[in-house]
Amino acid sequence: MTTMQKIHVTVNGKSHAREVEARLTLADFLRHELHLGGTHVGCEHGVCGVCTVLINGQSARSCLTLAVQADGANVTTVEGLRNRETGQLHPIQQAFVDAHGLQCGFCTPGFVMTTLELLGENPDPSDDEIKDALGGNLCRCTGYQSILESVRLAASRLQTTQSA
Amino acid sequence: MAIEIPTLPEQLPTSAPRFVGKEVNRIEDPALVSGTVEFIDNLSLPGMLHCAILRSPHPHARVIKVDTRAAAALEGVEAVLTGEDVGRWCAPAFTAPEGWGSYCMAVDKVRFVGEPVAAVAATSRYLAEDALELIQVEYELLTPVANPDEAMAPGAPLLFEERGTNVIQSREYTWGEIDRVFADADRVVSRKFRWNRVGANPTETFGCICQWDLADNSLTCRGAYQTPRFMGLGRAASLKLPANKVRIITHAQGGGFGGKGGPRGTDIAALLSRKADGRPVKYIEDRMEYLLAGGGQSWDRYYDAALALQADGTVTGFKVRLVDDQGAGAEGYGTISAAKPLAAFTGNYRIEAASYDLTLVATNRAPTYPYRGYGPPPHNLVLESLMDIAARELAVDPAELRRRNYIRPEQFPYTVPSGNEYDSGNYAAVLDRVLEMADYRALREAQAKARAEGRLVGIGVVSTVEPGVFDWNAYATVGVPGVGVPEGVKVAVDVLGNVTVAVGFNLQGQGQFTVAAQVVADYLGVDMNAVKVATASTDVAMPHFGQGGSRLGVAVTGAILGACEKLKQTFCLLVAHLMHTGPEQVELMNGRLQLKGAPEHGMSIAEVAGVMLARSDLLPPGMEPCPEATFVWTAPNRNLPDDQGRCRSYLTAANATHIAQIEIDRHTGQVKILGYFIVDDCGTRLNPASVEGQLQGGVAQGVGAALFEEYVYDPQAQPLVTTFVDYLIPTIHEVPMTTKDHLVTPSPFAPLGAKGCGEGAIHTTPATLMCAINDALSPLGLEILETPASPHRLWKLLHGHGAA
Repeated sequence: MTTMQKIHVTVNGKSHAREVEARLTLADFLRHELHLGGTHVGCEHGVCGVCTVLINGQSARSCLTLAVQADGANVTTVEGLRNRETGQLHPIQQAFVDAHGLQCGFCTPGFVMTTLELLGENPDPSDDEIKDALGGNLCRCTGYQSILESVRLAASRLQTTQSA
Repeated sequence: MAIEIPTLPEQLPTSAPRFVGKEVNRIEDPALVSGTVEFIDNLSLPGMLHCAILRSPHPHARVIKVDTRAAAALEGVEAVLTGEDVGRWCAPAFTAPEGWGSYCMAVDKVRFVGEPVAAVAATSRYLAEDALELIQVEYELLTPVANPDEAMAPGAPLLFEERGTNVIQSREYTWGEIDRVFADADRVVSRKFRWNRVGANPTETFGCICQWDLADNSLTCRGAYQTPRFMGLGRAASLKLPANKVRIITHAQGGGFGGKGGPRGTDIAALLSRKADGRPVKYIEDRMEYLLAGGGQSWDRYYDAALALQADGTVTGFKVRLVDDQGAGAEGYGTISAAKPLAAFTGNYRIEAASYDLTLVATNRAPTYPYRGYGPPPHNLVLESLMDIAARELAVDPAELRRRNYIRPEQFPYTVPSGNEYDSGNYAAVLDRVLEMADYRALREAQAKARAEGRLVGIGVVSTVEPGVFDWNAYATVGVPGVGVPEGVKVAVDVLGNVTVAVGFNLQGQGQFTVAAQVVADYLGVDMNAVKVATASTDVAMPHFGQGGSRLGVAVTGAILGACEKLKQTFCLLVAHLMHTGPEQVELMNGRLQLKGAPEHGMSIAEVAGVMLARSDLLPPGMEPCPEATFVWTAPNRNLPDDQGRCRSYLTAANATHIAQIEIDRHTGQVKILGYFIVDDCGTRLNPASVEGQLQGGVAQGVGAALFEEYVYDPQAQPLVTTFVDYLIPTIHEVPMTTKDHLVTPSPFAPLGAKGCGEGAIHTTPATLMCAINDALSPLGLEILETPASPHRLWKLLHGHGAA
């Protein structure tokens, strides 16, 4: 029950060595051990997608992942997106602001992380591809229309940046 | 001097509004997308403990013994709470009507699965949950009451024995000559409807951190509170503290939609803090607790309703009999949601008489709480479905039947039979616009073609009125006293011309901080980024209510305008004094106090604030050095209800017509939404992007209620839905991307002409989809009158396996 394990996790480029209980979820580890509160928790049974982070570049439910499973991994959370020097938002974050892709904002970090993965793999997704990617993230406020628009906007801005 | 609140944006002291009415970016959003907003679970306090709650597995049972010795002995457990403590220290929840509330934790018996029976505070949540497993509870099982029929049967087991009945309230309202219009009717259509339980389910569950100060016996509660002062009053009553010794600090919330506040969780965390020598105790409700027993189940209803019509399609009467399963008592104000339809009982129509026979019943299901819309979504489903059935019987197009019965533009302000006054609207123009936008004729042609191919394609055209800006008088019928809902702010200008607006609520998603910044920036002529909106805790905030009742955008606008008017009057006095002229010679325009007719002579608001704060020698005798003003707004011209519940309750009446085109898959029973069109009119749109967001979000929740979401209970009142695998929130695949347009008929009574707009879509979407589904089924002679029209229910109906 209280077996402690040593883990070494790199989060947003910074490495952390910690001793944690084997049962500690990655979400709780990020939120309460590393004080990275941007990864929210909505259902703790893997349905809502609010807690989505990237583990070695792949989206994952941090509520269904144990911290010990992330031993040796590279984890990216929403805190890793903004420019550290200037505070400037990542183009995906800015697109969500500009296209009103959020209301309460609780699910937003999960959507942003899923979008980051999507646009990394598929810079010019169709609407159906966007919906497929975001189908595992619940939003109770927006009705998704403005989220779809945010992802389209982010994709077009990122493409412009890359081709410039 | 009287305070005049501008009723149109053009009346603001600016040559042209720069922010009001524009799709400005929300000031809330940069922090939200960055993940830096302090939702309650992001906060830790020194010495903080974590609470876990043991909940009843039985729907109805006497609690014989709770043995917590092993839990208390576990290392890391600092306090354990049982019903014995609660019975000694607390009072049951106040309810409306009175006398149907429970303690925060079962004291003698449990009345629903999930009711708290014990709680633990430990050094981690993991440990606290370990400790729960060590608690032994001995129950004596009682026969559960699973539904209203059982609850009202002679000799039924009683939930609240001292009441002598399970009927919380039963009364009938009669408005107009209802018997005569039904006797004289050429046609009467009637049906029974069943609306199954749905609920809010914000992505963030409830959470709080409570700290009991043992020295002065006061309590501080930080948490996700939708209506801070109201919540504080409730805690004071249940914890037997003076109200001014309960301080609520509300945090940003991950959605609310009605039930955000957690009175039981707050009381339990507070009492654990009291037992743990005043250490702060955090309670974060988990999703399974929320689905089981959180403030998130609503509208469990059985309807029997009838419409009276003349041969030409004129609707003359509407009779509704409602039996509402309130669950285990009235602690969540579910009673109110049955009273709300009085504010728009007869919808968009000139119906001369109506009646409402209302029975609110206690059962061993979880108590019901508010959910967005607060009652009208099921009511509108009933009215609009009957309109469609009447149209089919009369062989009239359903859009045309509605048009014939609409209240006409020249009839506003219009008093409906149930008493409320609608401020303004043009329903036929809204209908025309949506019919044109959807190309309704083409939709009907496509439907005819699809039907010829054997496909089940249906179209729903539904109109509703959204009562906006709630008032307590709307709920006097169930025992909530009062007229008026104060919403107060403080507007402060500093020497550099920055403006701070202090409000009594916090972020929940609707964007009211942005609206506040837009309004104050246009009034005082500053940039939006010079405006800070801050939440005051209840001990220092002005009287307020916060989010609820499609009201806050309008109410906070009114409060800010009132405070700005007061500031302007003071500033004019000061500037007139400095310029040796009369205050009537000075005006505020574009952020400057200037001489009328000679605008080059004037001062900026920053200069005025600077003189006030730093040059007392220049002030007129007796003037306070205070460039700040408070104002508490409440809707004007409200009144007490008469003996039939009639009063001017909701200030504004927005309206909308939705059109849905759907197809049912015969083989799976699944409904596919082929097209969805919305035209609405909520008066002045303060931030059009936010209004659209409210509409689309309401559509999503309406899709859930009509097609997917349901709190299922078995015949022993055991809940069968406890995870998001069972309670189906619509995803991006299920929610239609809607085509929208709008009309603007400003409210003549509301600040800047804006009408409440947060609930209209959930009022309309369920009815629209159900009407479309029944339109699709009509060639088969089938009908579905129960929500949700899930694939399972529709498949059974289509394949003849009993009534749906």
